[in-house]
Amino acid sequence: MKTARAEKTINTAKPGRRGRAFSTYMHRYGTLYLLLALPVTFFIIFRYIPMAYILMAFKKNNIILPPWQVDWAKNNGFEWFIKAFKDKLFRRALGNTVTLNLLDLVCGFPAPIIMALLLNELAFKRFKKFTQTVLYLPHFLSWIIIASLALRLLADNDGLINIFYKQMKGDPNAVLPFLSKEKWWIGSYIALGIWKEAGWGTIIYLAALTSISPELYEAAAVDGAGRFRRIWHVTLPGLRPTIIVLLIMRLGYILGSEFDRPLALTNNLVTNVSTVLSIYIYQKGIKGGSQFSLTTAVGLFQSVVGVLFLFGANFLAKRFGERGIM
Amino acid sequence: MSKLTADLEKTKKDAADAAKAAEEALTAAKEEAAKAAEEAAKAAEEAVTAAKEEAAKAAEEAIKAAEEAAKAAAEKPAEEVSPYKFEETHKITVRLFQRGDNEPEKSPFADYIRKGMLEKYNVEVEFVVGGRWTEPDDLGNLLAAKEAPDICYTYSYPTILSYADMGGMIDLAPYIEEYKDAIPNLFNLLGEDNIYWDQDPETGKLWALETRLVNNARINTFIRKDWLDKLGMELPTTKAEFEACLVAFRDNAELLLGEDASRMVPYSTSYDIGWRNNILTVSFVPDDITDEELYIRGYDDRQQFLPGAKEAIRLLNKWYNDGLVWKDFALYGSGDTTEDDNLKAGFVGAFQHNYDYPYRNGDDSIDANLKRNVGPDAVFVAVDCFENDAGVYRKYLGSTVDRKVCFPSTNTEILASLLYLDFISSPETILALQTGTEGINHERAENGAYMMKAVDSADPNYQASLNNIDFTMTCNGQYLGEYTEASFAYGYAPVEPAVVEQAYAIAMNGGRVPAHFVLPAIEAEVGIGTTLSTERDSFLNKAVTASVEDFDKVYDEGVENYMSIGGEAIMDERAEKLEAATGYKFEK
Repeated sequence: MKTARAEKTINTAKPGRRGRAFSTYMHRYGTLYLLLALPVTFFIIFRYIPMAYILMAFKKNNIILPPWQVDWAKNNGFEWFIKAFKDKLFRRALGNTVTLNLLDLVCGFPAPIIMALLLNELAFKRFKKFTQTVLYLPHFLSWIIIASLALRLLADNDGLINIFYKQMKGDPNAVLPFLSKEKWWIGSYIALGIWKEAGWGTIIYLAALTSISPELYEAAAVDGAGRFRRIWHVTLPGLRPTIIVLLIMRLGYILGSEFDRPLALTNNLVTNVSTVLSIYIYQKGIKGGSQFSLTTAVGLFQSVVGVLFLFGANFLAKRFGERGIM
Repeated sequence: MSKLTADLEKTKKDAADAAKAAEEALTAAKEEAAKAAEEAAKAAEEAVTAAKEEAAKAAEEAIKAAEEAAKAAAEKPAEEVSPYKFEETHKITVRLFQRGDNEPEKSPFADYIRKGMLEKYNVEVEFVVGGRWTEPDDLGNLLAAKEAPDICYTYSYPTILSYADMGGMIDLAPYIEEYKDAIPNLFNLLGEDNIYWDQDPETGKLWALETRLVNNARINTFIRKDWLDKLGMELPTTKAEFEACLVAFRDNAELLLGEDASRMVPYSTSYDIGWRNNILTVSFVPDDITDEELYIRGYDDRQQFLPGAKEAIRLLNKWYNDGLVWKDFALYGSGDTTEDDNLKAGFVGAFQHNYDYPYRNGDDSIDANLKRNVGPDAVFVAVDCFENDAGVYRKYLGSTVDRKVCFPSTNTEILASLLYLDFISSPETILALQTGTEGINHERAENGAYMMKAVDSADPNYQASLNNIDFTMTCNGQYLGEYTEASFAYGYAPVEPAVVEQAYAIAMNGGRVPAHFVLPAIEAEVGIGTTLSTERDSFLNKAVTASVEDFDKVYDEGVENYMSIGGEAIMDERAEKLEAATGYKFEK
């Protein structure tokens, strides 16, 4: 069935005019190029053409005219970058972004690896599959839903956990300020992130685990290695390339920030730690401020730093003998 | 314009034709009457005198009727066809707010406007619906996408100013001059003051028209009267008495709420501390503060940066730490209904909010829900108990301005748009939009007052905004001519009119309208509004929830931060431009 369809497509392709080799080549692979056309078109329209608007970062702020009709901004076009770095709120957002992302990296990155190892050790196939599915589920909930759940569960007074806690302590003023004290909020933010995404993150590791040869385990067992030894000497080294690739990609995202997660989880008591760059851009650019130039500048800065981190991590990975991603 | 002149000519001609026709009818009628009289005389020889008299009378009547017909015929066309009616159909788009999930563009009110504009001016109106609570964001996005409706409005003038700076707005000044005669109703309703309110005294540019706020009451303090009765307490008349009420609510939670005692909230507030404690704040502001200082320090419409405001927040902080204030208020953002649900469930003793807040929304009002959930006696009444240093129950009222109407530069139908504003500003239109259909939206009282009825929100006749202000763009507040006063308290069915009247009287008691100074645009206000209000809310929330010892530190840091990110620049520029205009010297 598959071959029949492929042949049909090849027959409708125009015969090549630039010699036999090309025509044979297109004959053979034309379908693949056709398949590629759609995503490439998508990227050109929605990723590359909009890049022209990066120009806004160097122009006077104007949301009405296209950027090429607007005058250059002050200070040789760098007015908005200077303004951003002079802005206390921007510096705060930058600091928060780095802090939350690093914490996410330190706490959130190992979580799916540990979870994948645990799942891998489960003996009953059915139970393993069931557990996997259950672990994936939170990934499909939006942050808005999770934030509402968190509020009902964790609020100081009306939250379920605090209601139990007060009863347990017998003190109506006893409170676990999950969402209302800055440090607690960071903890809740990171924990909710792990809860939501760790299960989903195991997929790629579990796939990598299947490629480890069972013979290695058998050999290790023969040599007298116990479970932990086998994990340490066989499983983890087998996962190493995957871990490195994912880590590099994560580092490229160090200044990037999620939008819906902090926006949904924040409240007025914790804005000092919860306002990340995406929220800053949203408030300045879209929510009433319409400062498109300033926010484009901030976005560009984010991307440039992200690319630098990506290259840096890739370089280091190669130095340590891994393949890297580029 | 030539089209208009042609229109006018045509109208005149039509009128002349009609008059001529009427004259002919008159002559014919006269002839007929005379003939009838003759015949009558001939036929009735015996009763000559009587018949003559009768005939003469009939003739007289016929002449009179014909004369009247002629008069009416001559007058009629001039009344019905406006000289500004377009010959060809023009089309304009108009912004319309949506609240909740109703479809305002399909309501009979939208039909009324569409039909009226088509008949009167041959202008087709298309409504562009957008959320009320995302209004400032939407305006920017629509302008950037070049899809802004021909007539836009927003509550924030600095927003319009920033778009005007980018070339996104039309300067209305020359058009107002040119078409002045076409828009008498707009001038009548808004008055010269509102129309030229935002005109830059230096450049003469006019980017927006300030629409009319008919009712400028703002905020009230509400308290559960049935709880006070239960506790044998009087309505509070001073701050100290009010605090005593809150303490009594807290200490008698078991008595007042039974098994729900743990849900007791003596005093409720929201993240919007400034608005929701405005009466409290203002009571700490010195009574002799000058209009000039009020202007310079008054960019924040919550009055949070006036002298004395800190002490107000300190009192609130004390209440919070004494367990008198809703503990979780800061966790819920704009649009969250948790607090309203608490009010409706009857867990709350007192709060400050819009002067008519518990009575709004008919059958779904806080008052109606409270009565359903708790009992017929349960009621929030307005009280006056926040005296200032002069012993006055001061309230800062809104001025006469409300929303700001602007035309984006993509508007190519300026006359049609102005005619639209004129149409919705005419007293008949406002009356029709505010009162709706008799029997559905209202009944008439014996004295002519309009008694509004609660309409189900799924019904297309439902008015999603109080007094239907989403449709009466140029008018906020009941505006029913001679019936306004009598109808006011009936606007809140099923709430007792007396309760509403009292709330209104208290909201206006001790009212002061901050003066308006005509100054050039304050550049420091452009594009910073949301940032400042977000930071203000954030630090006020922290200050209220801080421990009593930390209060000064948290509050002072917050003010300093607010001032450093733009608050101070606004104050300085306001002071500078005010001094240039009036010579007033401001000392910090």
